[in-house]
Order: sequence, then C-alpha cells, then structure tokens
Amino acid sequence: MQNAEALNIDHFERPKKNYLNNGTTLKSWLLTKDHKRIAIMYLITVSLFFMTGGIYAATIRLELLTPASDLLNTNTYNKVFTAHGILMIFFFLIPAIPAVLGNFFLPIMIGAKDLALPRINLLSLYIYWLAGGFAIWALLQGGVDTGWTFYVPYSTTFSNTYVLAVGLAVFINGFSSILTGLNFIVTVHTMRAPGMTWFRLPLFVWSHYAVSLVMVLGTPVIAITVLLLALERFAHIGIFDPAIGGDPILFQHMFWFYSHPAVYIMILPGMGVVSELIPNFARKKIFGYEFVAFSSIAIAVFGFLVWGHHLFVSGQSIYAGMVFSFLTMVVAVPSAIKMFNWTATLYKGSISYETPMLYGLGFMGLFFIGGMTGLILGALGLDVHLTDTYFVVAHFHYVMVGGQVIAYLGGLHYWWPKMTGKMYSEFWGRISAMLVFVGFNLTFFPQFILGFMGMPRRYAAYPPEFQVLNIFSTAGASVLGIGLVMPVLYLGHSLLYGRNAGDNPWMLPGLEWRTSSPPPTENFETTPIVTWEAYDFGEDSGLDFEEARRRELAPVI
Amino acid sequence: MANHATSYSDKFVYHEPGLQHQFEDMKQQEESVSIGMWMFLVQEIMFFGGLFTVYLVFRFRFPMAFSMGSNHLNVIMGFTNTLVLIVSSLTMALTVYFAQRNKRNWQIGMIVLTMLFGLTFLYIKYLEYHEKYVDGLVPVAGWNRKVKLPGTELSAPLPFETGAVAASEQGGEEEKPYNNPRGEFQWREGSKLVSDALAEEKANPNKKVLTEYERAGYLDPTTGLVDEYRFQEKIRSFFWIYFALTGLHALHMIIGLGLMTWLLWQAFKGTFNSEYYSPVEMSGLYWHFVDIVWIFLFPLLYLLGRHLLAGG
Repeated sequence: MQNAEALNIDHFERPKKNYLNNGTTLKSWLLTKDHKRIAIMYLITVSLFFMTGGIYAATIRLELLTPASDLLNTNTYNKVFTAHGILMIFFFLIPAIPAVLGNFFLPIMIGAKDLALPRINLLSLYIYWLAGGFAIWALLQGGVDTGWTFYVPYSTTFSNTYVLAVGLAVFINGFSSILTGLNFIVTVHTMRAPGMTWFRLPLFVWSHYAVSLVMVLGTPVIAITVLLLALERFAHIGIFDPAIGGDPILFQHMFWFYSHPAVYIMILPGMGVVSELIPNFARKKIFGYEFVAFSSIAIAVFGFLVWGHHLFVSGQSIYAGMVFSFLTMVVAVPSAIKMFNWTATLYKGSISYETPMLYGLGFMGLFFIGGMTGLILGALGLDVHLTDTYFVVAHFHYVMVGGQVIAYLGGLHYWWPKMTGKMYSEFWGRISAMLVFVGFNLTFFPQFILGFMGMPRRYAAYPPEFQVLNIFSTAGASVLGIGLVMPVLYLGHSLLYGRNAGDNPWMLPGLEWRTSSPPPTENFETTPIVTWEAYDFGEDSGLDFEEARRRELAPVI
Repeated sequence: MANHATSYSDKFVYHEPGLQHQFEDMKQQEESVSIGMWMFLVQEIMFFGGLFTVYLVFRFRFPMAFSMGSNHLNVIMGFTNTLVLIVSSLTMALTVYFAQRNKRNWQIGMIVLTMLFGLTFLYIKYLEYHEKYVDGLVPVAGWNRKVKLPGTELSAPLPFETGAVAASEQGGEEEKPYNNPRGEFQWREGSKLVSDALAEEKANPNKKVLTEYERAGYLDPTTGLVDEYRFQEKIRSFFWIYFALTGLHALHMIIGLGLMTWLLWQAFKGTFNSEYYSPVEMSGLYWHFVDIVWIFLFPLLYLLGRHLLAGG
C-alpha cells in the first residue's frame, strides 16, 4: 500500500484476517508468538497495575488531606506508599511504553514481520505475570513498608513485613525487562526492512534501542542486589547490614546503579513517543534528526554515570559528590537537545491539536519543569536542604507521570486507531487530556512549594501550616483521577461503537500507517521497501499529501 | 493493498527446515540468534559483575580476613576444576566443529565428553562444599554439620538475635552435639595475623599495615587489640561471598548441563548439520561464558593474597 491510497482517510478495505480475529480461542492468545497480541495482553495487565497503584495513590492523597494521621495509621501509611511505588515503578512505568507500544509498533515501524525472538517475547510476558502475581500475593499478605528503595539495614533487619517476597517479585520482574530489551536490540539490528537504514529509523525506534541498552546493562545489577538482600534477610550474613559487618552505602551504590538508569528507562520511551507526535502533528520533518537520535544514546550512556547523586547526604565522599553533581548537569544536555529540537520542529509547522498532540505538548511543558527541578536537586549544596522533602517527590512525579504517563497516554491515543481499527471520541479525548494536564499540575506543583518549605516525604502527619497546599494537591489528584478514568470509558466505548478508523487516520508517512488497521498477523502483505526518510511529508515519501489534503477539504457530495 | 489476491499465507514460500516464520532467510536468523545470545551474555556479565564488585569492595577493605578465608579453600581442587573446565571448553568447541562438518557420531561423542567434564566439575565442587560443611565453614546459622563441643569455650555471648538460644543450647556440656547456630569457625589462630601486624606497626610507628577499615573492623574499640569475634565475622563475609559466587556459577553449570542434554537428544536425532547448527554454537557460547567466569573466580577466590599467610 505504498501509494496514494495510503492517504485516503476512508480507506479501510482490509484483509479478512487481521491479528485480532486470526484465532479466537484462549489458547490462540496465551500461546501466541505474535508481538501484537503479546502487546495487547501487556496493555491489559499494565492497565490493571496502573489502576491498583492509582488506588494506593488516592489513599495517600486522602490521608494527607488533614495534618493528623487519621485515615491510616503510620504503619499502614508506610505500606501504602511502598505499594504505590513498587507497583507503579516496577510493574507500570518500566514496562508501560516498551512492552505495550514498543512491542506493538517497533517491528511494524521497521517493516518486520515480528520481533526477532517471538518466543522470548512471550516468555517475558509470562515472567512479568509471574512476578506481578507474586507481588500482589505479597501485598495481600500484608505488604512491605520499606519504601520502594529497600534501604538497608531497615529492610534486612528491622522491617517485619514481606520484604523477601516483594524483593523476589522485583528480582523476577527484572528478567522480563531484560528479555524485552534484548529482543528489541536484536530486532533493530537484524529485522529492518530493505531500505530501512539506521538513519531512516523513526526516533521511537532509536529511543527504544537506547532504553534496551539500559535494560540489558542495568537490570542484572539490581537483580543481584535484590537477591543478595533477600539472602541476607534470610540467612543473616553481613554484606549490607552494618550490625553484622556489612556496608549499607554499598547497597545504596548498587541499588542506584540500576535504579538511576531505570529513571531513564521510565523517560526515554516517552521521549520516543513525543518524537513521533511532534513532527507528525506539526506535519514537518523533525529538526536535527541525528541529534535527537544520538541524544537518546547519550542519555543512556550518561545515565549510568550519575547514580551517586542519590547519595549526597548518605556519607559518600564529598569529592565523589562533586563529580556526580557535575555529571548530573551533563546529562541534562542531551535532554535539552531534545527539547530544543522539538521546539524547532514546531516552528512554522502546520500544527493540529488532536488529542495525541495535546499530550505531546503537555509532555514538553511538564518535562521541562521536571528536568529543570532535576538540575536544582543535582546541585550539591542545595540538595542538602531538599533531600527527602516533597520537592523531590514533586520533581520525580513531574518526570515520571508528567513524562512517561503523559507520553504513554499520548502514544496510546495516537496508535489506538491502528491497534484496534476504531476511532475514539475526539471531543472526550481532548477534554480528558486537558483534565490530566490541569489536574496533574494542581496535584504536584504545590508539592514543590511544600518541599521548599521543608515538608518531609514519607510521613502520614504534618504540621498544620502545610494544610492549605496539601488540600490543593488532593483536589488536583481528584481532577487527575477523573482525567485518567475517562480514557478507559471512551476508549472502551470506541471498541464497540467507534467508527472505523481507516488505515491512515492522521495522514502520516510512517510505515505503520501503510498497512491495514488493525494490521494482519504478518504486519504487511508484502515486505515493504523503504525509500523515504523518517517524517518525510514531501514527494519522496511516495505519498501525495497535497491531493489528500484537497480531498479532505472537499465538500462531501 | 488494493490487490491482495496473493496474501502471505496463500503464497507458497519455500521454508528451509529450522527457519522461523519471522525471518526471511537462514542468514538473518543466525545473525539474530547470535546477537541475542551475545546480549544475553552481556546481561550475565553485569549480573556476575555486581557480585564481583561486592567481593572486590570487601577484599580491599579487609585483605587480612579475606586471605585468611582464601587460605581455607582447597587450591588443589580449585586448580583441578579449572583444568576440567578448560578441557570441557575444548570439547565444546569440537562439538561445534563436528556439527559444522556433518559428523554426527563425533558430535555426540564430544557432547558426552563435555557433559562428563561438567559433571566432574560439579562433583569436585560438591566435595569442596562438603569439606566446608564438615569444617563448619558454612557461614549460615544452623547449616553446618553438628560437631562435638570442643573443650574451649567456643562462642562468646552473641551480641544479637540468636544469642539467647545459642547459649542455652550449649549449656557448657562437652558431650552435647553443638549445632553451631551461627557457623562459628573451628579454628582460633586466624587473628594472629592481625596481632603481628599490630606489633609491626608498634615497632615502626610510621608504617601503616592495617587499612582504616581493618582498624575499625578487627579491633576492639576500647582495648585497641584484636577482637577474635569481629575478625571472624569478616571471614564469614568472605565465605558468604564465596558461596554466593560459586553457587551462582554452579547453578549456571547445571543449566548448561540441561542445555547439553537437549543438544544430545537433538544431535542423536541428527538435527544439526552444516546448514543448521546455530543451537550448538549458541550453547557453546554459553558454556564458554560459564567457563570464563570460573577462570576469574579461581584466582580471585583461591589464589589472591595467599602470600600473606605463607605456610599458614
């Protein structure tokens, strides 16, 4: 379908079999090797974890409505914020974009029939389910109260909760993301269609390549760290626990050696999505393609060198602190390159404000604030004041929720017509995007102020003078919650009653828009041959955008 | 698209045996599988790397306790195991060689040899573990063989957790089997090394023999002399890391043997030939990787710092 037909908005003549109706038994889903079906199963599971984590978040915000610890007692509060962190980070943020959108679209965007290792892909889903089941079981047993960071010696010696079980769940889950990353790397190397050179890859693919590197290199380190922690708790041998000859700072080093790069696992795929949304909805080639592509790789590389900024007040050498502070500033450079290039792409573009683009622009605004406050926290002296305050909480929520979740929602709306063949209600989509943006800012911006005033994180009670801002925050959380529930409703509605989307509803040149919606099991009727650069809206793309635009504007007869 | 009379499934596509549906040809498949395996090994390096880091950090902090621990490992057995694994790498490489040349019987023979060497390794490892178990060197409460309580008052009151239990179980009776609840070591001469170092420091006030960590880790803060209990705790750390590292390595050997069993079955059926041998090659990569890990483990655990205790 590499012809003008690809731009016909009403074109939805599709082969009888697509990936959704090619087999309807439960077995055909559970034993599938099709990356698209695996992605759909990931989508459902990830959404369930997001909802569970969201319920915990709502509980936290309700508790913080009043200064006293009245809704939850302090022990329960510890368990609730730990559960919120563990579910959201390990079971939602890390797999969300790579395992759902990446799994679905990475092979299609490079013109492959499937990921290179489909059985490994299915295995990673099962490992994820196993780990998730384990985590849920442990939470139902009574949960864990260490915080998602499992800091020793609290986690090894003092905590009376299910540290071992949750630690093992995190350990198992790590292998799921290792295998996904491994699969992406192999796929990008070997499965590109003829003509799909490295510098014609969509930037979504570049960012997934970078994030896969981080997954493969970083995750094993937390796996061994958590394993040692579990064994230490089980057999009482001093590696990390100072009371029996261990070194707690070593734990923090090893934990953050993974978990700081994990922060980039939680933002790079989001940047990949936004790098798709911005040029496509500005109808313009991305500004500085190579810079955006290599800035992803640079973030992945520098991301491994900054873990020490989590240890500024933990007793790390002051000279190490200075180096890590400097490197933290350095890692802001590639992120800034992306921001500048997106902005330059928007310049003189013909921008349209459909739902995905609203999310894309929202990402730019929120990530800007999240990134800049990251610099404030990376400054060695200032951080001493801000460590473990709500400033930190606000900062990483701006990056993770304002970054990854917003980008995930944007990507989901952007590709929904391709994934399901159905179009959702644009009106409700825009309303929900607006609510999410406003609700998010109302929730987390007050927390910057609270943190700067000195309100510490992880306490169920706080002095009454902080109450006004906390009420703002909780009110914002309710708006955010409504904004996040709405997509479930109108996207679900679209599955049943939505109009057929057509193969290329946004009129874009990317490879995924040149196959039918939903795509057939083998993705393309014939292996595509790529002759155009990424985001090419000109004649080289083989698509006549002028004609399509005229056809769209012509009155329906 | 408009013309999809011949969709993919209808078309007759020649499929080479062993070619999976997502690939165009064998070359693409082999390349993919090979990159995948290498990435997996990179992941493994990082996995072991974390543990190696832990070992090196503690080794640099407490060289004396760690060489004391090293010295209680059986170098002869470790060396034999190194030889066994190197030879098994040779037979593994020959397996790939014979698979590429369509020599099924030779291939089977080499797989069997590789497995035998692998089993020999595990058997020697078992002997070593057993020796540690008998000597009471397993650093985990209650995991050592029960031994008669020696005449000396072996364990000082334990400062935390199992202290009460341990004291009541011993009760001072000599004949009662002592179940060694915290893996107390059965030798006493260990801290002499530190006393000698302290004496040397006293003789030459400018010379620093002990590291700062060792000073804090071994010495009793009030008396400034060696605290046997604290010293043994560091040796326990050594054995803990030793068991973690070699145990993880042995686990990889067992997985490798599982792979070999599968290979043997496939080779027996004649699956592999000069056209299709990548499973053999990939299992080979894995096997060599596990060998290389041992090549690093042997000097780090068995050989490093033995000179500190020459004759000990």
